[in-house]
Order: sequence, then C-alpha cells, then structure tokens
Amino acid sequence: MNDYLQLEPADRAAIDVRDVTKTYDLGDVKVEALRGVTFTITRGEYVAIMGPSGSGKSTLMNLLGCLDRPTTGRYFLDGSDVSTLGDDQLAAIRLKKLGFVFQGFNLLPRTTALKNVALPLFYAGINSKKRNATAADQLREVGLGDRMDHKPSELSGGQQQRVAIARALVNDPAVVLADEPTGNLDSQTSEEIMALFGHLNDGGRTIIMVTHDEDVAGHARRIIRLRDGRIVSDQVTVRS
Amino acid sequence: MRLTQYFAEAFAVLAGNKIRTLLTALGLIIGVMAVIAIQVLGAGMSGAIQGILGALSDRTFIVLPNQQQADFTRAAIRLSDLQRAKNEVPNVVDAIPAAPQSLRGRYGHTSRRVTVGAGTDERFAATTPIHYGRKLDPDDIALARHVCVITEKAAVKLGITGDPTGSSLRVGEHRYRIIGVLGKSNEGILPGPVAADVAIPYTTYEREYARSRAIVFVRVLMDDPSKVADTEIAMQNWLKRIKGGRVEYQTFDRKSFSKAIDGIFGAVTFVVALIGAVSLLVAGIGILNIMLVSVAERTREIGLRKAIGATRFQVLLQFFIEALALSAFGCLVGMVLGIAIGAFVNGQFIVKLSGITAPIPWVRSIAIATGFATVVTLAFGTYPAWRAATLDPIEALRYE
Repeated sequence: MNDYLQLEPADRAAIDVRDVTKTYDLGDVKVEALRGVTFTITRGEYVAIMGPSGSGKSTLMNLLGCLDRPTTGRYFLDGSDVSTLGDDQLAAIRLKKLGFVFQGFNLLPRTTALKNVALPLFYAGINSKKRNATAADQLREVGLGDRMDHKPSELSGGQQQRVAIARALVNDPAVVLADEPTGNLDSQTSEEIMALFGHLNDGGRTIIMVTHDEDVAGHARRIIRLRDGRIVSDQVTVRS
Repeated sequence: MRLTQYFAEAFAVLAGNKIRTLLTALGLIIGVMAVIAIQVLGAGMSGAIQGILGALSDRTFIVLPNQQQADFTRAAIRLSDLQRAKNEVPNVVDAIPAAPQSLRGRYGHTSRRVTVGAGTDERFAATTPIHYGRKLDPDDIALARHVCVITEKAAVKLGITGDPTGSSLRVGEHRYRIIGVLGKSNEGILPGPVAADVAIPYTTYEREYARSRAIVFVRVLMDDPSKVADTEIAMQNWLKRIKGGRVEYQTFDRKSFSKAIDGIFGAVTFVVALIGAVSLLVAGIGILNIMLVSVAERTREIGLRKAIGATRFQVLLQFFIEALALSAFGCLVGMVLGIAIGAFVNGQFIVKLSGITAPIPWVRSIAIATGFATVVTLAFGTYPAWRAATLDPIEALRYE
C-alpha cells in the first residue's frame, strides 16, 4: 500500500511529502527535476538537504517553500494539503507558516533592521506599534538588540544574515527554510550563524536547510541526499 | 490595507532617488504648471473683462450698422434718426451718439490730444467712483450745459494736480467747466466709448459734434432693462424700416458681450486642454519608463516580498502607489508653480491695466492637478505595477 493513498497527514508532521514529482516543460524538452520524492519531517527536526547541482534540491526547496506546486504527488504542510493551492493562497501559507533565509540575505536596502524584520507582519496586517514591538523582540533574540536602527549597508554579513533570520522567525512559522544560509559568509561567521540555527532548533524550531557544504550539513540532525531527482539517502547524523 | 504605510514606503523610495524622481516628475511639473498658469491668467483676464462689463449699465445697449452690407451709406445713422427713435421705439428713453472724437485739449499751458465722448447721467452710466466734484446729472443733460467730467488718466495727461473742479478746459473750439474727476476706472482694457477722456452731456455732444456726420455707434438708453432683448430687436427693425431697403444692424449689450467673451475663453480653454493632453502623454511615458526601470531594478526585492507572503495585489498596490506618489508630487509642485507664475503675471500686467483682481481659481487648479495625477497614474502606472505583481517569485529571487 502506497503512502500516497493515505489522505490524512502523518501525526505531528511539519512536512509530509508523498511521491512528489516536478517536471519543467521547456517546449521541446521536458526536464524531470523531481522523480518521486517521499519523506516526512516532524516538528522540531533540523534537516539538511544535500546534493550536487542538478539533483533537484533547489526544486524541492521551492516546493517545500510553497513558491511552486508539484506536478504530481501530495504535499502536506503543518497538516494541510498545499499541493493544489492558487498563487494567493500559497502566499497566505508562506506568510503564516514559513520563514525564509537566503544565501544573499535579501534585505531591503535603505531600510532599518527593525523595518526589515517587521515586513512579514506588515503583510499580515498587524498594526505598526505591534509590528515594531514584535520585530524588536525578535532582533534581540538573534543578538542584534543594539542594531535595530541600522541599515543593511551598516551591518556586517553575519549581522545581515541574523536580521534575515529574525525576519524569518517573526511570524512564528511552522518551518524555517534556509537556502545556503552561509554561502556568502566566511567560515567564522558561518559557525556563528550555524550556532544560531542550532540554538533555534534547541528551542523547538523546525529547520530545513539546503546546502552543498558537508561541514554546514553536519550541524543538522538529519541529512537527506538527492541525486537526479530522487532521494538516495536519508540518515540521522551524530552531532559533533 | 494600510495605505499610509504604502505611501510612506513610496515616498521613502522616491526620496532615496532624488535626481531620478525630480527628472521624471519634471515633465509633469512643466505640463501642470503651464496649464494652471494659463488657467490663472485666463481667470484674471476673464475677471477683468467681466468686471469692466459689469461696470457697463444694464440700461444701455449699443447699435451700429453692419460693416459689410450692400449699401453702407444708406444704413448710416444720423442724429435726426436718434431723436425720432426716442419717440417711436418702445422702452427707448434716448439714443445717443457714442463714438468719441479725438481733439486737442488745453488746460492752462498744457496741450494734449484727448478723446471727447457723450456722457450720460448716473442712471445709464458706469458705476465708476468719483474722485473730485460730481458726475453729470439730468439737468446738465436737459440743458445741454458746457460742463465736463474728466477721467483720472486725462487729468494726469493734462498736467492737472489737485481738485480742478470749477476751472475751465478747452477742447477743440469749445470751453467746458470741469465739474468732476472720475476715480481709477475699471475700463482700462476696453477702448472706445466708455473710456473717453472727457465726457460732456450727450445733448451738448450731439449739438457740437454729431450734427452733420454719420454716427458710428449709437448708445441706446432704456427705461426697463429687463426688456433688453425685445428692445434691441425693435430698434433694429425700426431702423430698417426708416432706412428702407436691405440694411443690416447689430446690437451689443452687456450680456451679449459676456457671451462673446465666454466664447473666446471657451476656445482658449479648449486649446489649453489640448496642450495639457499632449504634456500629459509625454510626462506619462516618462513615468511609465521609470517605473519599468524601477520594477526591473527591484526584481529581487519583489521576489523577497512575495516569498515572505505578499499577495499579487499587495505588490501591485505597492508599485501603483509609488507611481501615484510620483505623479502626485509632480502635479503638486506643478500646481504651486503654475499658480505662482499665473498670479505673478496676472498681478504685473492684467491687474495693473484693469485695476481688477480676479480670485485665483483654486478649485479648478486643484481639479486639474488631481486629474493629471489620476490619469497619469491609471494610464501609465498600472502596467509596471502589474508586471511587478505577476513576477514569478522563484525567478525574481534568482535575478541578478
């Protein structure tokens, strides 16, 4: 019996992916980026997704991040099926349930750290007083309580990534998705950021990280490896 | 929707790109400025002319032979006709020759050319303020006295200082006792009968200047001003009848003057609207271009906003409001400059000439500025905003 036919999501699963495929139709050629991927991630897990380029890890990340829809298969996020939602419904899911951390930080220039962190709350329709208070709390949590009024250009790379992490957390998401979060950072800063992720995970956050760096992946508790659109291994790591 | 927040962000973006914002808005600034300045000037001009016409009495109208007709000589009006008209045309109190004569005036040792016109008493005259002495009264007219009322301008021309009433002014072959000096007139822009330097009783004027020649203008004085239209027709028909043959006359009163002037200003307004439309198009294309550049430059930002949960509508709104803020800025500055320039030119020229200060057409100016901003935003801000809203977040985040 295939898991796919079971319509209810697995208990306590933050993410439940069942036989998901993704095919890009490029006119003449069809590119099968994912060829049937099934896994679950329970709440509180810290998972690294690894694989060489072209393995489908970016495609998987986009699907997990509700930026795209699977061609076939089912995806339950925090208990609800999001595989067939429309653009605006997906936007609402991203707003409520997901937090993104990017390699390039993607902070708004000429905007203070506080305002950057508060941005998701703006789209959630929260009033400015409450937005600022929540964003300030979140910045303090990532250790930037004294940098709230600084603009990205006035912050170091590590500090910028902390701001981005605070922004990812400010809406209290079910899952934090990090795409090569240390790709633009030196090794010492990378360690700091990884320590922050570890700390957040200890606090109960579900974290999924895409990386090609074994050292970085080593901080996660579970590594899913992809190759040619399929999972080739899925193992729990021993923390160093 | 927290619109104020959108506006605050839009203004921050525009302020962050000052030179670009200014250059983009410049087209709009110039367009709105030109249109509003012309509106303000038009209002000043129209106000001045209406003011002057307002000074004309409702109890008079002008009748004159048409310039182009088969037998102009036959149509010419003579003094004897006017005396008959008074008795034969209903509602006509009197009909007086109204074209002023240009003659040499002498006061003391000063000698200048002045215009002499037929003056009426207050019932039929303009409500010009009096400076010294008094205006012509019915007795002056009934007795055809040798008295005159001069304008302030004429007093200056003749080198008169202080109160000249009682002294004598020689005009051509005749002498007149000055009985009054009119104050600053409202008639500066209008040439012709209402602006004669020296007004003598029309009875005196008829006797001394109008006996033997054809009369160019006739000013008709009415008893009941509400019957002006009927009286004009009656006067024309009566003239046609006594002249016999195919003669043509036309009449003007305050209302038909107003109407003619309204027609002129209507045409001016239409041309201004056309200029406005062209400048709107040019300015709009500038804004369209810069908004497309802005969307392209901020592709990653748009991707990020969408990734963290902004809906298409929210992204659309952001860029739409940015275009709106840009055009609102341009239109506001254009409006302020337009009013300033219009009011300055109006004050320097029209008010000085006419002595009438027309109110600035605030409502119309604001309506024009708002209209411009709305049209530009809707026509040229929607497409870039739609482009931003429909970007694919994955592509946008990857954009370098």
